[in-house]
Amino acid sequence: MSQAVPPLLSVRPSRALVDEKFSVLVENLPPGCPVTIRSLYQSEDKDFWEAYGHYVSNHKGTVSVSEDISLGGTYTGKEAMGLLWSMRPIPGSRKGLRLRKKDTCAPMLVTISVYSGHGDVRDQAPLASALVERWHVAPGVQRIEITEKGVRGTLFLPPGPGPFPAMLDLWGGGGGLQEYRAALLACRGFASLALEYLKSNDTKPKGLDMKYFETAFEIIRSHPQVIPDRVGIIGLCFGTLMTLSLAAECPTIKPRCIVCISNIHSKSNENTIQEFPQEIPEKYNKIHMMEDVVVWRDMGLAVLEVGHPKVKVGNIDCPMLLINGTDDQNWPTVEVASDIIKTMREAGKESLVTRLDYPDAGHLIEPPFSPHFRAANFMLHGTKKKVMMLWGGKTKPHADAQEDSWKKILSFLQLHLYGAPSLKANL
Amino acid sequence: FNLWAVRAVRAVRVSSIRPAPLLTATPVRTLVDEQTCIKASFLPSNHPVTVCARMRSDEGDLWQSFAHYNSNSRGTDLSVGGSYSGCEPMGLFWSMQPAPGERDGLRLRKKCVESPYTVHISLLEGHVSPNQEPVKELAAVTAERWYMAPGVKRQEIRQNGLVGTLFIPPGPGPFPAMLDMWGMGGGLPEYRSSLFASRGYASFCLAYVGHKDLPGPPNTINVGDSYFQAAFQFLQDHSHIAADKVGIVGLSYGSFLSLADLNESVFAWIHVNILLFFVNCFFMYPKAFSFMTLLSLKHILCILQILMKPLVLMQLEEITCPLMFVVGEDDMSASSIENADLIEETLRAAGKSHLFTRLSYPGAGHLIEPPYSPMSRASFWAVKPKKREMMTLWGGHPAPHAAAQEDAWKKMLEFMELNLRPKLTASVLHVKAKRQ
Repeated sequence: MSQAVPPLLSVRPSRALVDEKFSVLVENLPPGCPVTIRSLYQSEDKDFWEAYGHYVSNHKGTVSVSEDISLGGTYTGKEAMGLLWSMRPIPGSRKGLRLRKKDTCAPMLVTISVYSGHGDVRDQAPLASALVERWHVAPGVQRIEITEKGVRGTLFLPPGPGPFPAMLDLWGGGGGLQEYRAALLACRGFASLALEYLKSNDTKPKGLDMKYFETAFEIIRSHPQVIPDRVGIIGLCFGTLMTLSLAAECPTIKPRCIVCISNIHSKSNENTIQEFPQEIPEKYNKIHMMEDVVVWRDMGLAVLEVGHPKVKVGNIDCPMLLINGTDDQNWPTVEVASDIIKTMREAGKESLVTRLDYPDAGHLIEPPFSPHFRAANFMLHGTKKKVMMLWGGKTKPHADAQEDSWKKILSFLQLHLYGAPSLKANL
Repeated sequence: FNLWAVRAVRAVRVSSIRPAPLLTATPVRTLVDEQTCIKASFLPSNHPVTVCARMRSDEGDLWQSFAHYNSNSRGTDLSVGGSYSGCEPMGLFWSMQPAPGERDGLRLRKKCVESPYTVHISLLEGHVSPNQEPVKELAAVTAERWYMAPGVKRQEIRQNGLVGTLFIPPGPGPFPAMLDMWGMGGGLPEYRSSLFASRGYASFCLAYVGHKDLPGPPNTINVGDSYFQAAFQFLQDHSHIAADKVGIVGLSYGSFLSLADLNESVFAWIHVNILLFFVNCFFMYPKAFSFMTLLSLKHILCILQILMKPLVLMQLEEITCPLMFVVGEDDMSASSIENADLIEETLRAAGKSHLFTRLSYPGAGHLIEPPYSPMSRASFWAVKPKKREMMTLWGGHPAPHAAAQEDAWKKMLEFMELNLRPKLTASVLHVKAKRQ
C-alpha cells in the first residue's frame, strides 16, 4: 500500500536575526487545497503565542506566504511576516501579556506548521512542521555587563576591531533592563549600551539624576572601541523625555543625533525630571478607565494644553528623528511632536528634525515583526499596582510602522554616525 | 592612532576619527548549502582591500581563503586576485585551503554536525596576503555554517548489528528517506545525511568499514550483503519513514556496494564517482564478496572492467528504479567516466535508458561533496590493506569543482524530490489528517 508522503514545509532562512524576513513555502500539496499555516511560540514566561493564515494552494500544489494572500486568520493579505507580527496569546492565556525577550543570547524558537483546511486546527495533527530560530545577537557580537561607577546596563559591541559609532538606548516607564534593541543595533554596526535607570520593583523611584546619565554616556564615549564624538541616543516613551533632556539641558552630553520614539517632553512641576512618574498622575487627574483599561492620553493632552513645564528642546543642536503613532492612547505623542517642531522652528532649527507619524500605530513601536499589544499589563512606577494600560494601535498598521521605522532608524543612524552616503563593495 | 590626543581636540565638531568600514554577512547563520552575501560598506572609492576568511576544523586545523577587491559604487565586485578570481559570491568558502604551516594532506570533513563551523571574515587594508606581517584589520564579521537545521533529530543507531546515525526532519512525517553510504575511507561521515534531513528527507548514514563498533579488524569489510539489506529494511520499517519512498546515495565505494547488493525495492539511486579498486581479496575479504576489486589507476581499470563485466551487468539489467550518476571528469582516483559509460550502455541495451540520468562535470574531481565545501585535490587516505596513509590524488580544480558541487547538489535534491515525493491528492490528504 502506498503511504502518502506529506507536503514539504520549508522556512528560509531557518536561523535569522529578528529584524530579518523569512520565506515560508509549502510544496507538494494537491492543487487548490485549503490549508492553514500556523506559528507557535512559547515565551520565556511559558505563555503560548500563535498566529495563523488561511491559504489555498496553486495549480502546482504550492503555497508561498511571501507571494500568496492569506484569506483569513490572525492576518490577511500578502504578508510575508504575518506569522510573527500578528501573534497573540492562545485562548485561555493570562490577560494583558506583552512579549519581550529577556535572554538576548538565546534565540526565540518558533514552530511553523501546516494543517489541512481552514477550521480550528488546534486539535489537529499538522501535515508538516518546521522549527525556526530568531536571534537578537549575531555571532561575534560581545555582550558586556556594566556595573561600574554605579551605572547598571549592558553594552553590546559589534565584531571586529572598530572603532564604532555608538548608541545609548533608553526604554520607558516600565523600567528594568531591556537589552533587545541594543543587541540588534550592535548587529547593525553600532556599539550600544542598554541602560537601566528605573528599576521595575522600586517603590521609591531613584536614578533620574542627570549625573547618572552623564556617567553612562561617558562610559560609552571613553570605550576604546567607540568614537567619542559619534555617540547618539535612542529613547522610547519616558526614554524620549530623558533623551530630549540630555540633549537639550545637559552641557556635557552632546549626542551626534537622537531618535525619539513615542515622544514625551513634559517635566514635573519643579522643572526637574525627578519624581516625574509619581507627580503627574496625581496632579492631572484626567486618567480615565475604559472597560478596565487605563488611558493616559487625555491626561497628556491636559498637560500640554496647560503649558506645563517641558524640556527646552530649542537648545538641541543635533539631528533628531521623531517617530510616533497616530493611534497612541498612552500619550498624545503626535501633538507633542508638533509642539517640538514648533519650538525648533522658532529657534530656527527646524531643518534638524525628521518627523514620521505612522497612521493607526500605537505607543509601543518596537523592532520589526514583534507582536502588537493594544493593551497590556503595566506596573505603575513607584507603586506596586499593576494596571491594564491602553497603548493603542491597530495590529496591521502597527506592524507596518515597526518595520518601516526600524529601516528609517538604521538609515538615519548610518547617515549621521557613519558619515556621508558611502560607496559599497559587494563581494 | 592615539585616541587620547584626538580627544583633546574634541571641541571641534568635525570628527577626526573615521568609523571603521562595516562588513556584513547576510544571513549570518546559514546551512552549508545556502549562500550568504558578504558586503563591505563605508569604504572610500577605489580602495584596495582584501577579504579573508578563516575557520578551524573539528580537528583544530586552520583553513583560510582570501581575495583582493577594489571598492566601487557599482554593486557586485570582481576578485582581482587571491584564492579565487572573478565574481564568486561564495568563493571565500569553497576556495579555503589549510593555512601555511598546517599539516599536509588535509581534507575538510565535519565530524560533529550538531555544531556549526564558525567562520571569521575580515576586511584588510590593501591587497595583501593574510599571513604576511603586518596586516591591518579594518572590519570583521563572524558567520556560522550549519550542517543541521533547527528541529532535526539525530539518533545513533546500534541495533541488529547496524552501525549508523539516523537523522529525522522535524514534523510528524512520514518522510521519504535516503540510505547514505560513503567510500572506503570508512568511519561514519554524518554531514550529508544531516543536510538531507534539513531538506526534509530522513537519512541514515551507514558505517560498513573502519568503525570501532563494527565487528572484525578495522581495515577490512567484515559485513556482508545481509548487513546492507538490514539497513534498508530498518529504514522501511521505521515509523516515521514512508516504506516505499526510500532511496540510496553512495559516493565512491558506497556506490559500488549499493549496486551490488540492493537492486530490489530501491526507488532512487544516486551514485557519485563510482570507484572500483583492487585489494588482495584472498586475504582481506570474506567470502561474502565473490568478486575482485581494483586499485584506482585508470588505464588498468579499463581492461579489468571487461573482466568484471558479466557480474556487474547481471545486476544492472534488473534495475527497476531511476538512477542518477554524478561524474567528475577530472577524477584521478577512479575511472568514473568509463564506469558511467559502461552502465549507460548496459541500460540502453536493456531498454532502460529512461531510468538513467547522468551529470558530468568537467574539471571536477572524485570527492563531490555538498556545495561550497572546500575541495582537496589530494589528501592522505588509508589505502587498504596497508594501514599507513598515502597521499591520494582525487583530482579536480577549485573553481570547476565548486561549480560541480553546487550544481550536483541542486540536481540531486530535485531528483529526490521528483522520485520520492509524488503529488498528493486531496482525498489522501484528508485521510492523513484525520487518522492521527
